[in-house]
Amino acid sequence: MKGHKRDIVSTGKAPLKSPVAVSVGLHLLVFGIALAGWSWNTPPEPEPKSISARLISPEPRPTPVVEERDQADKEQERKQAQAREREEAERQRQAEEKARQEAERKAQEEARKREEERRRQEAQARELAEKQAREREAARQKAEAEAKERERQKAEEERKRQEEAKRRAEEEKHRQEEQRKKEEAERQRREEEARKEAERKRLEAERRLREQQLEALADQARQEREAEARRQQEAAAARAREAQMLSESEKYQALIRERLSQAWYPPSSATENMTARLQITLLPTGELASVKLVSSSGNTAFDNSALSAVRSLNRYPIPDNRDTFERYFRQFTIEFNPQRLR
Amino acid sequence: MFMKSRSRCSGSFLKTPVIACLVLFLTASLGARAELLIRITEGAGSAIPIAVVPFAESGSMPAGDKVGSIVQADLTMSGEFRPLEPSKMLSLPSERSEVYFRDWRMLGQRYVLVGQLTRNGDRIQARYELFDVNQEKRILGETAAVPASNLRSLGHHISDRVYEAITGAPGVFSTKLAYITVSGEGEQTRYRLQVSDVDGKRSKVRLESREPILSPAWSPDGKKLAYVSFETGKPVIFVHELATGERQKVADFPGLNSAPAWSADGRSLLMTLSRDGNAEIYRMDLASRNLTRLTDHWAIDTEAAWDHADRGIYFTSDRSGGPQIYHMERPGAEPRRITFGSRYNARPRPSPTGDYVYYVHQRDSTFHIARTNLETGEETVITRTGSDESPSVAPNGRLLIYATRQNGEGVLTVVSADGGAAYSLPASEGEVREPAWGPVTR
Amino acid sequence: MKMSFSTKAFAMLLSAGLVAGCSSTGENMEEGAYGSDVAAIDQDGGSTVYGGADGSGVSASELTDDERRAAQEQAEQEALRDITTFYFDFDTSEIKPDARDVLVAHARYLADNPRQQVRLEGHADERGTKEYNLALGERRANAVQRFLIVNGASRGQIETVSYGEEKPAVRGSTESAWAQNRRVELVFQ
Repeated sequence: MKGHKRDIVSTGKAPLKSPVAVSVGLHLLVFGIALAGWSWNTPPEPEPKSISARLISPEPRPTPVVEERDQADKEQERKQAQAREREEAERQRQAEEKARQEAERKAQEEARKREEERRRQEAQARELAEKQAREREAARQKAEAEAKERERQKAEEERKRQEEAKRRAEEEKHRQEEQRKKEEAERQRREEEARKEAERKRLEAERRLREQQLEALADQARQEREAEARRQQEAAAARAREAQMLSESEKYQALIRERLSQAWYPPSSATENMTARLQITLLPTGELASVKLVSSSGNTAFDNSALSAVRSLNRYPIPDNRDTFERYFRQFTIEFNPQRLR
Repeated sequence: MFMKSRSRCSGSFLKTPVIACLVLFLTASLGARAELLIRITEGAGSAIPIAVVPFAESGSMPAGDKVGSIVQADLTMSGEFRPLEPSKMLSLPSERSEVYFRDWRMLGQRYVLVGQLTRNGDRIQARYELFDVNQEKRILGETAAVPASNLRSLGHHISDRVYEAITGAPGVFSTKLAYITVSGEGEQTRYRLQVSDVDGKRSKVRLESREPILSPAWSPDGKKLAYVSFETGKPVIFVHELATGERQKVADFPGLNSAPAWSADGRSLLMTLSRDGNAEIYRMDLASRNLTRLTDHWAIDTEAAWDHADRGIYFTSDRSGGPQIYHMERPGAEPRRITFGSRYNARPRPSPTGDYVYYVHQRDSTFHIARTNLETGEETVITRTGSDESPSVAPNGRLLIYATRQNGEGVLTVVSADGGAAYSLPASEGEVREPAWGPVTR
Repeated sequence: MKMSFSTKAFAMLLSAGLVAGCSSTGENMEEGAYGSDVAAIDQDGGSTVYGGADGSGVSASELTDDERRAAQEQAEQEALRDITTFYFDFDTSEIKPDARDVLVAHARYLADNPRQQVRLEGHADERGTKEYNLALGERRANAVQRFLIVNGASRGQIETVSYGEEKPAVRGSTESAWAQNRRVELVFQ
């Protein structure tokens, strides 16, 4: 429907410039009207409202053109017939006018041809006189030009000769300049090389110095590293000795502990709160040199049990290593504190 | 049984010793002269070796056991001592100048007891000294005198002194035991209430009956016994003055009159009466005979004993279905159940220090004596015998006596309170039951 | 001995039931109702019955059915009452079902003889503690006392005492001995 409308509108806008165009236009118009009428007479499809709304709202072009045309159907046909009659009368009138204009044009053409012949003969005579005068003038001008040319050539040659001399002088000067520059460059190059050589030597000296210094530093560092390594080695050895002493110490601690535990008879009045501390001094033979109660449990029986236990050992198990003995077992403390009562 | 000793550096105990170890190492490696500390937390776990040298005697001595043997037996019974047999002694000193410590040390002895007995008319005087062998030090030196007929008392007294000097706790060898013996069958059955030394010697019958006698209980001063006698055909509570033999019927109510227990001041008795319908616990003021009911429950409540603070009571109740131990913090308070370990726990006896409560405990279809640590709630069975009954704690809390069966006969056994050593008292005629350990009297 | 009593009692109950159901069928049933096991008891009990107040003039031919039934019932009750010991399970005081009829017989007898006194002696086995067992024995005696009162006896006729584990019926530490020692004994005075 939409497409049809557009077609019809565009056809209607076309200007009626020729009978054929008019005819074609009319025919299309008739066909369009017929089609529009048929389409119009077809009951409108029951389209969903939403679709109708979509179709109507974005279509600004009104339809009255089509409606007018449809309503003035017969009027249009009558007007077309009248137009065709008018066009025929116009064509006959135009043909008569054309014949009359042709006769007038022929008479005017003959008068013009005669006038032109007379004017051509007068012009030929005038041209001949003018041609002779122009030839004389040309010969004179030619002589003058040749004289000027000779003078000019002569001056030109002189100028060229002078220029040549000048050019040669300049060339010589330039050559000399070049030579001088060249010598200067050479001198500068030599100076530069000398300078560079001096610089190189200086840098080399510096480098050597630096390297010597670095070598000295490296040597020092190496010596330090070695010293450190030696120190560490010594420390490790010391630690190892220490550890050995400790582990040996531990071993003998455990032995002493065991012997004392077996020798200790905590009294029945002992409680877990009771702690007696005894300071033991041993002889290098493992014999007890002295024992001192440094911290009493507050219970005489308990203190006595501890003292008795300490004194009950004839010889304490001690390490053979004298250092270990001196360090740990020459003098130590024993704490008696029952954790699990009988 | 005893774990190996631990020291601060054993690392196997707690975290703190480990840290202590590190600290020790650090200080040691820093070169400081850190003094070594060795910590002893476990003892030998065995009895203390002691030499009780037979006492020198001057003058005629009564026949029977020597004082030295009595002391030896006492110390052995305690479970804490291991006396040396006299035959193994290298010398028999009777005073300090004769004691060669090196010899005793060689024999592995810790202590040596020496003494002399002197007859002085009707009396016998003892002079005795106790030496610490390792310290070569005299730790006891005393004299004591007794009538010649009372030599055993002297022995027990010396045992008490030695025990206290070494262990720091009072000895209980001079205390008495009360117990019941049963002999004969049928019409000839005789029930006897007897009192003896703790070693079972010098026993005396205090009451004899054709009818059962039950539940002897010592008054705190050791002068009276309360007990239940069926002599009237039903259980009745008597209080019996030992010195005079005078007896008082203190509770003869309808139904049960049973389970007497003295208060620490000796003025009142706890008892179980069923006068009000079923077995409940009452306190009787002995002077006025006034009764105060302490329990009120449809279940059986019986076997009461004052707690060590003498404020609340322990007792047996089957209110939970079977007999269990309860503690009533003070009269009228809601009882708190103590035992949960088995379906039968009865007859509580608290330790004098209040650390433990001892009771009869059924396990694996037999009965043992068990104790519960009142602080931790931990329960330990302390007897290895079966059919064990009637635990009674010694006044020092170190020993416990109970009744058990040997070859079908009831006997008494003394055991250390943690179940260590056990010592059976010599069997007497017939069956022995219901021991009650008497108080320390001075 | 005591165990066999209860067995017999049970047989007696059976016979009583049979008699009640077949009272009109004749004397041969009565003969058949007494098993050989029960016979000794019957004779034993019978001697008491026939040596008693009703001894004179007893003649089977003169008895009506009712009289005969009453006499028979009485004899059965007498026989039941020979059972005077009742047993309990460990640490309980529940009367066992098979003891009920016997106790009912005792209760009726006490009700019929208001001047009769009875002493209920409660006992326990040796297991457990003496004082707890004393209370347990009393609880058993009390349980029997209540049962007797509920079934017609009066409180004034009954005295209870507990011996706990002090007076075992059987010595020994066996299940069998213990079972026979957990008991209440009725002692008529």
